[in-house]
Amino acid sequence: MRYGQGINGDDVDFESVWKTLDTAFTQIHDHNASSLSYEELYRFAYRLVLKKQGEKLYDKVKAFESTWLREKIRPQILGKLSPSLQSAPQDGVGAGAAATTNERREAGEKFLREVKDSWQNHVVCMNMLADVLMYMDRVYCTDNRKPNIYATAMNLFRDCNLFSPTGSDPRSPSVLGVLNGVILDQIQMERAGDVIDKSIIKSCIYMLDGLYESNSESSEQKLYSTSFEQDFLNVSREFYRDEGEKLLRESDAGGYCERTMARLKEEQYRCRTMLSDTTTPKIEKVVEEELIKNKIQEVIEMESGVRFMIDNERLEELGLVYQLEARVDEKKSELTKAIQLRVVEMGTAVNEAATTTAVPGQLPPEQAPKDAEAPANKPGNPQTAAAIKWVADVLELKDKFDAILNHSFQKDTGVAAALTRSFSEFINSAAFTRASEFISLFIDDNMKKGIRDKTETEIDQVLLKAITLVRYVQNKDMFEGYYKKHLTKRLLQKKSLSMDVEKDMVSRMKIELGHQFTQKMEGMFKDMNTSDDLTRNYQDYLQSTGSEDPKRVGLDMMVLTSMTWPPLGEDNEKKFIFPSEIDRLRKSFEKFYGEKHSGRKLTWLPHLGTADMRVRFGKMHEVNIPTYGMVILLLFNDVPSGEYLSYEEIQAKTNMPDADLIRNLQQIAVSKKTQFLKKEPMGREVNPSDKFCVNEKFQSKFLKLKVGIITNNNRVETDQEKRETEDKMEQHRGITVEAAIVRIMKSRKQLSHQQLILDTLDQVKAQFKPDVNMIKKRIESLIDREYLERLEESNPPAYKYLA
Amino acid sequence: MAAVFKKHDIEATLYAEKQDIASGRLKDDNPLDHSEGFRLLCEACRRGDLKICQEQISTGVNINARDRFDYTPLILASLCGHYEVVRLLLESGALCERDTFQGERCLYNALNDRIRNLLLQYDYSKSTDPLQPLAGHITSLLAREHPNTSDISVVTDGREFRLHKFILSARSPFFENKLSVAPETTMWRLPNSIPSDSFLVAIKYLYLSEMATDLGAHSDDEEQATLTGIDKLSRQLEIERLFEYILERGDRRLTRQRRQDEVSRGRDQLEGWFKDNVIRHKVTVDKEKANEVRWDRSNGIFADVLLRADEEEDECEEDGVIDQSKLTVTKTEGPLNGLPIGNFDSRSRSVSRTRRKRKSVLYPCHRAMLTRSEFFMTMFSSSFREAQQTPYLQIIPIDCSPAVLEVILTYLYTERADFDLSVAIDVLFAADLLLLEKLKARAALIISTLGNGAASIVEAADPRGETAEEEVIDIYEVVRAGWDTRMHRLEEFGARYIAYRLERFVDEEEFAQLVRESAARIKERQETDTVELVDDIRYYLSERFRLRMEDAGLEEMMDDQDIDALASTQTKPDLDPTFADVIPTANFDQDEGYAADLETVAVVRTLDGEEVEDEFSQDAMNYQILLGKIDGLLDRLKLDA
Repeated sequence: MRYGQGINGDDVDFESVWKTLDTAFTQIHDHNASSLSYEELYRFAYRLVLKKQGEKLYDKVKAFESTWLREKIRPQILGKLSPSLQSAPQDGVGAGAAATTNERREAGEKFLREVKDSWQNHVVCMNMLADVLMYMDRVYCTDNRKPNIYATAMNLFRDCNLFSPTGSDPRSPSVLGVLNGVILDQIQMERAGDVIDKSIIKSCIYMLDGLYESNSESSEQKLYSTSFEQDFLNVSREFYRDEGEKLLRESDAGGYCERTMARLKEEQYRCRTMLSDTTTPKIEKVVEEELIKNKIQEVIEMESGVRFMIDNERLEELGLVYQLEARVDEKKSELTKAIQLRVVEMGTAVNEAATTTAVPGQLPPEQAPKDAEAPANKPGNPQTAAAIKWVADVLELKDKFDAILNHSFQKDTGVAAALTRSFSEFINSAAFTRASEFISLFIDDNMKKGIRDKTETEIDQVLLKAITLVRYVQNKDMFEGYYKKHLTKRLLQKKSLSMDVEKDMVSRMKIELGHQFTQKMEGMFKDMNTSDDLTRNYQDYLQSTGSEDPKRVGLDMMVLTSMTWPPLGEDNEKKFIFPSEIDRLRKSFEKFYGEKHSGRKLTWLPHLGTADMRVRFGKMHEVNIPTYGMVILLLFNDVPSGEYLSYEEIQAKTNMPDADLIRNLQQIAVSKKTQFLKKEPMGREVNPSDKFCVNEKFQSKFLKLKVGIITNNNRVETDQEKRETEDKMEQHRGITVEAAIVRIMKSRKQLSHQQLILDTLDQVKAQFKPDVNMIKKRIESLIDREYLERLEESNPPAYKYLA
Repeated sequence: MAAVFKKHDIEATLYAEKQDIASGRLKDDNPLDHSEGFRLLCEACRRGDLKICQEQISTGVNINARDRFDYTPLILASLCGHYEVVRLLLESGALCERDTFQGERCLYNALNDRIRNLLLQYDYSKSTDPLQPLAGHITSLLAREHPNTSDISVVTDGREFRLHKFILSARSPFFENKLSVAPETTMWRLPNSIPSDSFLVAIKYLYLSEMATDLGAHSDDEEQATLTGIDKLSRQLEIERLFEYILERGDRRLTRQRRQDEVSRGRDQLEGWFKDNVIRHKVTVDKEKANEVRWDRSNGIFADVLLRADEEEDECEEDGVIDQSKLTVTKTEGPLNGLPIGNFDSRSRSVSRTRRKRKSVLYPCHRAMLTRSEFFMTMFSSSFREAQQTPYLQIIPIDCSPAVLEVILTYLYTERADFDLSVAIDVLFAADLLLLEKLKARAALIISTLGNGAASIVEAADPRGETAEEEVIDIYEVVRAGWDTRMHRLEEFGARYIAYRLERFVDEEEFAQLVRESAARIKERQETDTVELVDDIRYYLSERFRLRMEDAGLEEMMDDQDIDALASTQTKPDLDPTFADVIPTANFDQDEGYAADLETVAVVRTLDGEEVEDEFSQDAMNYQILLGKIDGLLDRLKLDA
């Protein structure tokens, strides 16, 4: 159908031109191209295309390449194919049927090298051919939408070599199949610890990556992805499944983790150096699934698992476990579970230890507190020591897990939250109810003794720890109660080593627990300050009014706001009779105070006071003594030497409560160091039938003496006291809950039962965790008192606020 | 699309621009031009004379100047509606920049939408400086590692620059002197006192690179040191403009103009150098001895390769050795003859010819410049013979005549592509071979503008094709070349050319052959497929007559008699321009009988009395006759279209 060919008289002789090109191409393939002229070859090809012979040329080149690949290259490749290679992939990897690993490796390398070399030669030659045929690619291929000659030749390599069967039987495995098998075999050898030639594999992989399954060159169609990668992943999965089982049997948890980590790195490195980066996430996933996901629970629960690691401070190993699980589970649930379990276990152990030592008599002797200064009062001290030990133990536990968290778990927030939950769990466990008290005691102890000689940063550490523990406590109101009680005693007895630290602590609590929580404590500090001022002002007042009395008794008092402070003792003012000297002073101060603040009522709490007095027993002694003690001693000023005052007489003259009287008499009549009085009859116990006279023979080598007040030391409450505290707390809570209910109802007017409960819980949860039953009872009570009313017809049940 | 500017905005900008130009800060894009050449160009633009336009443009007239009426050639051409001329002007670098006064004038004045759209396509912001490809190539030499074309390395403090002696020599008088004394130098050390950064800037300048806005310095001190270095260097290398060039980096338009100046200066320097060295040192030898020429690798003009072109056989045929029939054959194939018909071909022919010594011309060249062609780039990057280092310069034959090779070299070295029509087709093929698209387009442009002969003086001014002047080109050859080199423009041109002279070609056997070839170009032809060439000819034919008839129609259509006359000659459908290019052939089947030849037309004319009527209906009849002839031809060729 062609007309126009002959018109120019230049019809090219295709056959002769092709012959020249054919010879040249053969030379190129034989690496003998240096004498060929590019200009000439290009011109020939150009001529043919210009003269509409493009198609013929294209087909001829294709045919030439096919023939070359089929007849020259393929036999070369097949020649390197020893029988052991063909069988290896089928026998299952690593089985190493007949040939030894070494032989197989060498044979494999030979084969791979041949494939690699022939491929690289092909690429070089085709680049040269493509250069020569550039005009054909530009014009013929573009116009006719054919792939350029280079791509075509690459596909030919695939079709003529890789896809061709290895044997004469067309069903025998293709070269590609064998190639994949050999590469996988080599990789398995490397996994088993052999050294293989990576560069050859890299080149072969590169070849597969540059070829496509079909002639459409989409990236999913790469031979690497379609043929090699899947095989690789399958073989790897099997390998790691076996390895996982083996490791579980043969090594401990730490070893398992180390091995897994090493395998992961190894696979990443392999992908980077030999395979393709796109495979990295895939093979990682395989390793993760086989070695971590399916096994991590077993590993964690192994005898040498997480529990063992925690107990033996195997931070590195814990870190490995963490890293591994983090790869497969964002929440690290298995690890978290194990850690939580261990925290609660250890916490419960600490609780139990505290509970048992807190029971008198069971205290092992070596645990007796060494720093107890106060005179012995057996039941109190060991218990306090136990409390402090409990706190120390909990803190130690906390430190331990913090260290693990920071060092091994990369400060993972999820794990941190779980740890907090677990600490909170055992600290607030129902079996152990003394946490609030113990923590407060711990702080008390530190305030009185612990922080002595400590640097600021150390003190800071202590405060920080204390606050951390407070954070775990659920019933904050309980803690507040104890803390206030202990703080009161510290303040009134001036036992605190540093007011600054006290205030610091309170301000920390304020940050942590809120303004409400510390309001009263701040009030207490304020009272202390105003009292100091007041004392000074009173002094000035006395001077200014000229009522300076040389025999006057100095007064250093504290005025406490009754609402701010916890209940400080029974109100027995009416009964207590001050000695006249003191009473004068009292009246003078009341006058002064009344002038300053009208309308305030002062209630005296003598049982909390102390007095400094001089006593002469041969020589002068300065004695610091509780106010009550002082009053008793003053009585004896009026008693002639050698005469007695009976217990009843003393009580009648002072109206002192029995308990206080007995305690004070014990101190000044029984205790050897300060035995100012003689008791008749002698004995340890003070009985109402006893009588007392001045102990003329009293001697002491100290000039200054101190009469202790044992009972006032902060210590663990006895069970009875505790019950009282709890009752009080319960009452207080009832009030808090009622207040909350009323507040809510006042603003909402009407509310369903469910919602009211929820709101109430929400309001009080910062202070404690109330019992729903209690809320119900409170609601009942409020209804009885006509604050609320049931809405009869409403369903679900609801309440209405009555103004 | 940018927001439309209000009149006062444009006026304000215009005023500011005038101020800048008056104060000499800016260069006028459109200077006033009173020269004769420019006057001729403007005239041609008004008339639409492609040939004169092309001639004037190739003499180097500033096509962006304005005449004393404030018109630029582009405005004139677009105002007068000459599409082809507008295209030619734009392709030759005429500016039509949106948001400038002159640019908007062009757009606003465009006669029709076709021209307007063409103008918009060539918006300056999209097109680039015509010299940019050259500058870009030279700049790219700095970074190109493969193939290595560098022949001198300059070492500065810690850096090595691999450079090209011929560029240094062309651009810097200092290097020119230095290298002329010692052309074999391969290494030059810069004093350590000059920072590498300064030298880099100087080199970039020499290599026509665009200047970065900063000098790559990180601190003021460094920048100062760099600037001092540049100052020193610019004096040492005698490239004083460099320093000014560096300092002017603010205003965009100013920078653009400066860069254009610099690039065109650089081009001129290269051109001068090219002429003084490459062209002057070309060697003419006998063809047989051509490959024995030995050139030393170190030579005074730093050439690293020799290109060989053999003289055409035509010249020896003057001797009358070849018989007459052979002569005609070569004539039709014309310049194609020099193309790679292949050794086998010329060998077979040389047997029949007495031996006469043919001459070959060798051009000493620089691979650095040749690699502008992808053909050479591939050649020098490959591992074939041409890329190997030899003691003497490689001789690479290029299959074209020396004249054509010179055109190509000139283009590669200087971006200039003004050549004679006589070599245009040869250049076209050679450019196709060497994969130089721009040169191909250029050759096609020259053929289609200059090749139109005298007929192009006014498009369609002469519908009767009475100009019997000697043909400048062989139109068949042009069409075939267009097909072979895929230059659509030439096919178009050929169709137009033939359409306007159809009466001359339509009966030639060679025309029939051409139609046949056109038909064969469509693979697996269907019965209903049209023949592209014939379609094009029909289109231009209708254009040729339509314009004419429209002209007449405007003046005379009111006359009833005219309408009758039109009806009687059955040209009515053709009057409607929308039908012009889809004339149903069936209409004319019945005309077969009477549309025999031109004589019939003459009879009709003599029968009709009136003068105007006469010419008009003659046109109509001619149109019918020509269409009929084409149909007849298609019938004969069994190409039902």
